[in-house]
Amino acid sequence: MNEPPPSNAPPAPRRGAPRIGGATPLVENVRVTAPDLRRRAALEQSRSRLLIAAAGFMVLFGAVVAKLASATIIFPMMPKLSAEVPVVPDPAAMAAADANPDAPMPGTLTAQHGPRAMITDRNGEILAISLPTSGLYANPKEMIDPADVAHKLKSALPRLDEQKVLARLTAAKQFVYLARQINPREQLAINALGIPGVYFQPSERRRYPQGRVASQVLGGVDVDNHGIAGVERFFDDRLRDDATPLRLSIDVRVQAVLRDELSKSMEEFTAIGGCGIVMDVRTGEVIAMVSLPDYDANKAAQATPEERFNRAVTGMYEPGSTFKLQTASMALDSGIANLWNEYDAANPIHIGRFTITDFEGKHRFLYLPEVLAYSSNLGAAHIAQSVGPERQRAWLSNMGMLERIGVELPETGRPIFPSVANWKEAANLTIGFGHGIAVSPLHVVRGTATLANGGVLLRPTLLAQDPGAPPRVGVRVMQQQTSDTIRKLMRLVVTDGYGKPADIPGYYVGGKTGTAEKVGGHGYKKHTNVSAFMSVFPMNAPHYAVYFMLDEPHGNKATGGYSTAGAVSAPAAGRVIAKIAPMLGLLPDIADMPQLTAALSVPMQPGHGYVSRWNGPLDFVPPSTPLASATAAVAATASSSPVPTLRQAKHGRGPEPVPASMPPQPVMRTPEQMRHEASLGTQVAAH
Amino acid sequence: MINERRLIRAEPSFGLTTKLFQISWIYVLLICALAGVGYAALYSAAGGSPDPYASKQAIRFAFGLVMMLCVALVDIRIIERLAWPLYGVSLALLVLVLRVGHVGKGAQRWIEFGGTQLQPSELMKIALVVALAAWFHRATWERMGNPLFLIPPALMVAAPVLLILKEPNLGTAVITALIGGTIFLAAGVRWWKMALVVIPIPFAARVAYGYLHDYQKARIETFLNPESDPLGAGYNIQQSKIALGSGGMWGKGYLQGTQGKLNFLPEKQTDFIFTMLAEEFGFVGCLAVLGLLLLIVLGAMAIALRCRHQFGRLVALGIGVNFFLYVAVNIAMVTGAIPVGGVPLPLVSYGGSASLTVMFGFGLLMSVHVHRDVEFKDRRED
Repeated sequence: MNEPPPSNAPPAPRRGAPRIGGATPLVENVRVTAPDLRRRAALEQSRSRLLIAAAGFMVLFGAVVAKLASATIIFPMMPKLSAEVPVVPDPAAMAAADANPDAPMPGTLTAQHGPRAMITDRNGEILAISLPTSGLYANPKEMIDPADVAHKLKSALPRLDEQKVLARLTAAKQFVYLARQINPREQLAINALGIPGVYFQPSERRRYPQGRVASQVLGGVDVDNHGIAGVERFFDDRLRDDATPLRLSIDVRVQAVLRDELSKSMEEFTAIGGCGIVMDVRTGEVIAMVSLPDYDANKAAQATPEERFNRAVTGMYEPGSTFKLQTASMALDSGIANLWNEYDAANPIHIGRFTITDFEGKHRFLYLPEVLAYSSNLGAAHIAQSVGPERQRAWLSNMGMLERIGVELPETGRPIFPSVANWKEAANLTIGFGHGIAVSPLHVVRGTATLANGGVLLRPTLLAQDPGAPPRVGVRVMQQQTSDTIRKLMRLVVTDGYGKPADIPGYYVGGKTGTAEKVGGHGYKKHTNVSAFMSVFPMNAPHYAVYFMLDEPHGNKATGGYSTAGAVSAPAAGRVIAKIAPMLGLLPDIADMPQLTAALSVPMQPGHGYVSRWNGPLDFVPPSTPLASATAAVAATASSSPVPTLRQAKHGRGPEPVPASMPPQPVMRTPEQMRHEASLGTQVAAH
Repeated sequence: MINERRLIRAEPSFGLTTKLFQISWIYVLLICALAGVGYAALYSAAGGSPDPYASKQAIRFAFGLVMMLCVALVDIRIIERLAWPLYGVSLALLVLVLRVGHVGKGAQRWIEFGGTQLQPSELMKIALVVALAAWFHRATWERMGNPLFLIPPALMVAAPVLLILKEPNLGTAVITALIGGTIFLAAGVRWWKMALVVIPIPFAARVAYGYLHDYQKARIETFLNPESDPLGAGYNIQQSKIALGSGGMWGKGYLQGTQGKLNFLPEKQTDFIFTMLAEEFGFVGCLAVLGLLLLIVLGAMAIALRCRHQFGRLVALGIGVNFFLYVAVNIAMVTGAIPVGGVPLPLVSYGGSASLTVMFGFGLLMSVHVHRDVEFKDRRED
């Protein structure tokens, strides 16, 4: 006891304590203060509580001992060989499962969804399909002899790595994947081994029968059958939730031809890449879209970034001379220019640190048709200058050149162009011939399709349009007459300009070459081109746009060393047209050639019989077949029209009902457009 | 006044040599005996070899023993003053482990700490005991009747319990709560107040069950029906029970166990070490070990009763409860009485964190014993 030791001095008497006769108290003075008492009370309290707690522990301890006794000596559990026999699907059950594919296989996990929907081309040709397969998995805890199991599995499924399988089978887990994508035959073989602890998980495998043909469009799926790129990714939810096949606008035959030609050209001119697009200019449907190098869609996961890169929508290239069509159109449509305006192509333009010159220049003044036929940068720059930066920007904006292309792919890129502040004179001039702006090939195709189809801008689509469905609604962005003129000019480029190699008799191909030097390092790289040919056919009743581009082609002997679009891309585009046109139900129209040639021709220069500085609409040759009605004739039934048109193919994969080409489209104008037109004022009225 | 007193160091009650003699060497001997059992079990778990478990465990125990004796010599009044810093540091570590802790076996429980792994929840249990003891040391019967006085200690228990639950470590959270509850009980909180807190817990647990991790739900469900999943979560229990059953009354003999040797028994060197003992030494051997464990628990109780100040008494009780709950939960777990919870058998199971904190706790217990009669200067009086 650790009471304070008794001190010699008597303790000070506590205040108020009774004093007995002033004598030393008889009782030993035990100092018990009030706090002391309280403390003792608490200690007493805790003593009893402690005893209760100790008793509680003893009871609990007793319970534990009882349980221990029960487990060790009273009811000892004996080891069983296997507590549960794994269910191996027997043939009868498998047959039943075949009859009813939705029912889960006995002893296997259930797939949560039905099969991923099929993807077909516009004719129902299968592009992507999900085949039933199984995943092979095991429970290592149930393995009796993992080494033996690994060996047996290897014998039934030679592609397995025995060491890896063994490592997985000996892992301290209850679920290990051994192999995915087991086909039914392999499953049967493994079942026949009768290994306990090995199971199958129903699964599916995405197959692309066409392999590389449309890989970037389709994209591909990962091991879990989720779309990782292309249409598979864009429509991932749709493909998983709705089992109806997804019908694309792609025509796999056209796709194959385009890919074939592109691939050959790439090889011939040792280009690093290529891109080809075929689009229906009347509906906006993309009939073919190729980007090279590509990959096998069945092995999408192994594709390199370069292979996955879809040049058609992700690649942003300077459109180069193909843009001169836009420049000419904006000048003609606004009435700023007419066909016989002359432009100075003799003197280089110096602006800022740039000097604009012409490739193989004529060194004289050129008429507008000549500017296009000879692809004069100087001429285009002067035309653009006459239009001005604001109207140029508004026009390109209306043409959808300044925004992502709205096609159903997740990879679409954003065009690159100067800000409003920088879109001044220099940009105005260079954009006039397609430099200083970068858009995707599909942007160029869409814009050119608009120029050719009568002036209606359509959102490009990868989905096949139902023949019975109402025609897709576009936005009229230019006048019909301008479109008529541009068609003649496009035709002129092919008959008399750089596009000559693309001319296929009877198909009245029109187009425009575009050779842009690639940007790299500091400024443009000389002799490193993107050579494109943008064409539309047939020019009398435009139906398909064909774009053919080679990335960094190298000239060879056959082209005289040239790697320009006219030398490398235009001939290939011509071959493509010759092959795909019959597939698309178009036969060459030779019989009506004289009339059509006449109707589509426009002279390079105001020649004999024509009034110099001619300034009226273009329905002048021959007076009996106005072009505007030639286009309208396609809208009506082809046969009843007195105007000669292309004959529809009699066979092939069934000509599609002629889409009401550009039926009276509702003219939708944005307020911006209306202001734009108002600013043009009298010029519009003059047309 | 109070500040001034706090600055004064507690006068040494008596010399170090005297203190050494005051240590309950019998109790130390009991602890060493338990460590000996652990060494034997780990030697067997390694198939009759000191490596890799037993030798390392012995070194850890030696270190722990030195630490225990050092702590035992620290004046209990200094420990009382350190209660709050210790609690604060433990709480900070618990928060830290949630942020930067290692993820092991589906939970964040460890902090890498100078090469060794620290499990803050283990330290927290000791810190909570000391902090609650310091709080209730100041309590009087009147004060205990004031519900407001009970709110701070209730929060002191709730904060670490919630943090440990979040790791998530259900077993340790429950044990921490039980330790807190026992100290409340011993401090003299009215029964009805205890009931008021305890009775809603099952209902709260029902709600909380919805927030449990799947693996925790699986454990509870397997506990309720172990046969339901003999190859999955029930596997541990199944194998453990088989090992217990194969030991029978007298066991198969030392180093003769097969379930453990053939690796049927999961975690045989850690949480399921007791099963190995049961297989080799049988029910009788188990009873002997249990007897040893019981002596250690009751020894702590005796030290608590003998102590003449509330602080020491509550600390000793808390240390005893902590140890008891380790033992009870571990054995209940391996016998399949409660869900598997990752609670080791202290000083027997292989592993540093639990053993070191338990030894630290025993150091505090010894300090209580050495300083059983010291007088605390009452700060709130005068």
